[in-house]
Amino acid sequence: MRTTIKIFLFTVAVSLFYTYVGHMVPQKEFHPPMTIELRADLTPAELAEIGRQIVAGKGTCLTCHTIGADKPGRFPDLGGIGARAAHRKPGYSDVDYLAESLYRPNAYIVPGFAPGMPQVNKPPIGLTDQEILAVIAYLQSLGGTPTVTLKTKLKWAGETATQETAPAPAGGTEGAGGGPQALFTKYLCTTCHKLDAPGKLVGPSLYDVGSRLSKGEIYEAIMDPDATVAPGFPPGIMSATLKANKFYQKVTPAELKAMVDYLASLKGDK
Amino acid sequence: MKPLVVLILALVLLGLRFLRLSRVLWVPVWWLASYVFLVYGIEPPLPRSIILMFMGIITLSLLAYFSVDSQTLSAAWGAIVRFVTDRRYTIPLAMVVVALPAAVGWVAYRNASKAPNPPLFGRTIHPPPPIEITFKGKKINLTEADNPFRALEKSDPDKFRQHVARGRVIYFQNCVFCHGDNLNGEGLFAHGFDPLPANFADPTTIAMLQESYLFWRIAKGGPGLPEESAPWASAMPAWEKFLSEEDIWDVILFLYDYTGYRPRAKESLE
Amino acid sequence: MANCELPAERRRACLGFGLPLAFLLLAASLVLAANGAQEGGAVTKAVEYRHFPVIGSRVAVWIIAQLHLMFGAFVLAVPMFALIIEFIGYKTGDKRYDQLAYEFTRLLSVSFSFTASLGALLTFMLFILYPKVMNYLTQIFSWTFFPYVLLFFLEAVFLYSYYYGWGKFHPVTHLLIGLALNLVGIGIIFIADAWLTFMNTPRGIDQAGHLVNLWEAINNYIWMPINIHRLIANISFGGSIAAAYGAYRFLASSTPEERAHYDWMGYVGNFIAISALLPLPFAGYWLGTEIYAYSQTLGVVLMGGTFSWLFIIQAVLIGNLFLAANYYLWVSMQRIEGAERYYRFIKYLLASITLCFLVWATPHSLVATVQEARAMGGQHHPILGVLGVMSAKNTAVNILILTTYISFLLYRRGNKEPTVSWARTGNLIQFAIFAFAVVFVIFLGVYGYFVEAKVRIRLSVPQVLTVLLTMIVVTLIDVFMFKNARIKGPIRWGEMPARSQYALFFIAITFAWTMGLMGYVRSGMRQHWHVYNVMKDTSPDAYTPTLGFAANVITITVLIFFSFIAVIFWLTGLTSKKSSGAKWEASA
Repeated sequence: MRTTIKIFLFTVAVSLFYTYVGHMVPQKEFHPPMTIELRADLTPAELAEIGRQIVAGKGTCLTCHTIGADKPGRFPDLGGIGARAAHRKPGYSDVDYLAESLYRPNAYIVPGFAPGMPQVNKPPIGLTDQEILAVIAYLQSLGGTPTVTLKTKLKWAGETATQETAPAPAGGTEGAGGGPQALFTKYLCTTCHKLDAPGKLVGPSLYDVGSRLSKGEIYEAIMDPDATVAPGFPPGIMSATLKANKFYQKVTPAELKAMVDYLASLKGDK
Repeated sequence: MKPLVVLILALVLLGLRFLRLSRVLWVPVWWLASYVFLVYGIEPPLPRSIILMFMGIITLSLLAYFSVDSQTLSAAWGAIVRFVTDRRYTIPLAMVVVALPAAVGWVAYRNASKAPNPPLFGRTIHPPPPIEITFKGKKINLTEADNPFRALEKSDPDKFRQHVARGRVIYFQNCVFCHGDNLNGEGLFAHGFDPLPANFADPTTIAMLQESYLFWRIAKGGPGLPEESAPWASAMPAWEKFLSEEDIWDVILFLYDYTGYRPRAKESLE
Repeated sequence: MANCELPAERRRACLGFGLPLAFLLLAASLVLAANGAQEGGAVTKAVEYRHFPVIGSRVAVWIIAQLHLMFGAFVLAVPMFALIIEFIGYKTGDKRYDQLAYEFTRLLSVSFSFTASLGALLTFMLFILYPKVMNYLTQIFSWTFFPYVLLFFLEAVFLYSYYYGWGKFHPVTHLLIGLALNLVGIGIIFIADAWLTFMNTPRGIDQAGHLVNLWEAINNYIWMPINIHRLIANISFGGSIAAAYGAYRFLASSTPEERAHYDWMGYVGNFIAISALLPLPFAGYWLGTEIYAYSQTLGVVLMGGTFSWLFIIQAVLIGNLFLAANYYLWVSMQRIEGAERYYRFIKYLLASITLCFLVWATPHSLVATVQEARAMGGQHHPILGVLGVMSAKNTAVNILILTTYISFLLYRRGNKEPTVSWARTGNLIQFAIFAFAVVFVIFLGVYGYFVEAKVRIRLSVPQVLTVLLTMIVVTLIDVFMFKNARIKGPIRWGEMPARSQYALFFIAITFAWTMGLMGYVRSGMRQHWHVYNVMKDTSPDAYTPTLGFAANVITITVLIFFSFIAVIFWLTGLTSKKSSGAKWEASA
């Protein structure tokens, strides 16, 4: 019995020692990010102030980025980004550049850094379009003057995942709402292809694809993009992107048919 | 590391070797030596939290060493028993009985009587400057602005010396109280401030900044610090209220002239 | 093998105790499946969370899940090394091994019942307290529940036939039953791992969270790394608990025979624990890499952000484990005649361990007051900054492992004197290999400071390989060198000071605490997500608590665990009163 008591006391002592170690390190609670209410009439400066809170909090930007450090960390230093943003990419205004870096972080990588930043409008960060505008306003304020307001329209706005709470129970028919156009947004086709006007983005515009290709060819162009590549465009990008997006695993035959039918109806003249 | 402390420690330990110390006594000797080394032997000094943790680990392993050999352990135990029971040791024992609680009391007193410490903020020391500031109603572009009198250094050395001399007068009329008469941040009032006034003799201050940066900091002072430098505890006044544009450029000339540093050259953005 | 002379009534009682609990678990699984099936038709807004009185839902589930995990780890690990020990006994014909394997197995039957009841309790609690999450997980994993229950049945069947059939079957048949038991056990843990790793790194679902591919959901990024990491850690943990059992019986024993036997049992248990501990950091490293591969954000949360201080606590725990393991070996050398020759090396080994421990526990970002920060010229200390990074820590761990290995080597040689002619050369070669390995590992560590991060991460692979290779080659040389060695004296089993046995307890407690801590971070790194990026935690407990709070919960869990273990030891002790110890024959 005496041994048992001794062992018991020993166990308690050792556990308490580790508890003590646990209490010696910095104690911090981490609360889930709050959704910030944004009024429509905010001035750019007020918006920048909200953006600052998002950058430090919900956006978790400072996990990787520094602001005004002597040596950048994992990702580029953001000090003075408001001044540099307009010169980074030819043809891009500072708002365009900043928006692209937030919605499509890996489209342009600052030399000397490795890609790896997640899309901030997608979970786990999942900022709303309004919050992203606030972040852009704040970034502009670093070395510049913020110009955006909540009325500013960004190219990528609207694709933010809206499901906040639990996913709907299984059995709902997918892609029922929105028609075929919604599918092009859903599968991010519109990131690289224009559907409503001529002019190329990453890939050729599809506004007249119905007059150029047959349904079978469109089908092939989606399912095996490298089989025939439109002249003037590099092969491999689309297949790599679709694979990375898991497009082929996600798309249903019905959706594919709807998309092909819609594309075939685009004759370019409307 | 401080070579002197390390040398003395090594000599003491080596000397004790020749004294043929018993194994039991080596343990406290090593403990003390580690403590002295961690506290006094490392430059800059380690934070207390780290010393506490390191000493904890060292204590553990010395205890392990102490108890691994049954003979050492029983020798030590015997020594303690003799110390407590033997009549010869009554006086030293009484001293220990008094000294132990006194030591604990002293530590408790010291901990309780410590001056309150302000909480620590991660503060950006050299925040990125804005592109443009308004100086007495006039817009000055900081990325382009340069010291208008710097060119005189080559073209008209006499005129340049005059400007430097003017700067010296301005410095000693305004700045010396905090930044000190050796420009080392050791002015009369310096120790009342947190953050400390800048030390211009340090190679990491003005030597790595552009003159326009200094102009911004002098003109706008602590109140003009941007967001990321929060908390704005800097006591630097906004000198635009007291000095003219020429005054500021002159005093900047003086700062570089006196310390012998060259201002950082302008570089194009990326 | 006449040790299983249990009265038939009691045997039946045991069986009657364990099996219903397995049924309970089955029932729980069915409830859960039925609950999921109902969901399709439910229209009313379902309850998302319920509140557990006083301590709150999260802490309640946390403690029960951790207890279940610890018992599960023990129940799955013991058959693994029991089987190996039994096999050694079968091959060498040494009865002692067979008896030892049986003694380990005897710990199982009660533990199995405890595991099952805790599992059932956990399932009920999850469904009552977290219906929203559990409904979702049921949708995803409904089909994996049936094989799980089936395997659980088989586990019960094999476990009891392995235990009660001891000495009743042909040895080979019995070994095969043991093998089947282990395979089933591994199957169980793999299925359960799929559920929980899915919550960390979900895969195989579409953007809205619907299941697309069940196999992908199971085989998510960290499923295999967690499987492997857990298997190894289970063996380690199980070994340390078995060693603690030996220590307990050693301290409670009254005869020299008993003491000798339980001293040996403690030694074997500890040997298993430490052998499994050595590759564990590497498995952990793989797990970390996969987490980074899944999401850099998650990786940074873990290593650089929210949980970076947790890994300092972990460093203290693991450092203590290594220290205690070496300590036990050094104290053990006292019962070996001839081992005095090696005493003088102990202080150097200790110095090496202490230094590595210090480096490993050095935090990257320091806690400093304003004055201290001023004196350092910022938040980074020029010397500590160098030690607080990955390069230094990897190097420290590798040297730590090598040092422990050297301790063991010295212990092994204790009473042996090589008789082969090339003994001197052999020693020199071994020494040269060690010296080279240490220099090379340190060189790679230092070199890591001068190259880009990308290259630096890859440097740890040659470090690990060097250490592994060194251990293999040196062991091989040692085996040949000490073939037909002259034995200087016997190992005097049982002549151990009590503090060595407390070292074994220390190791077991530290293991349990480490498991608690790692269980917390595995679950906690999701932060405010139930299923990372898919389902948010909207309950009042969604925040991440302080590490001090976590430490409190872990300590309470560990104490409850050891209270249960005490009950198990006591019950097991009852059954073995009659027969134990008598079979002990002093070893050669």
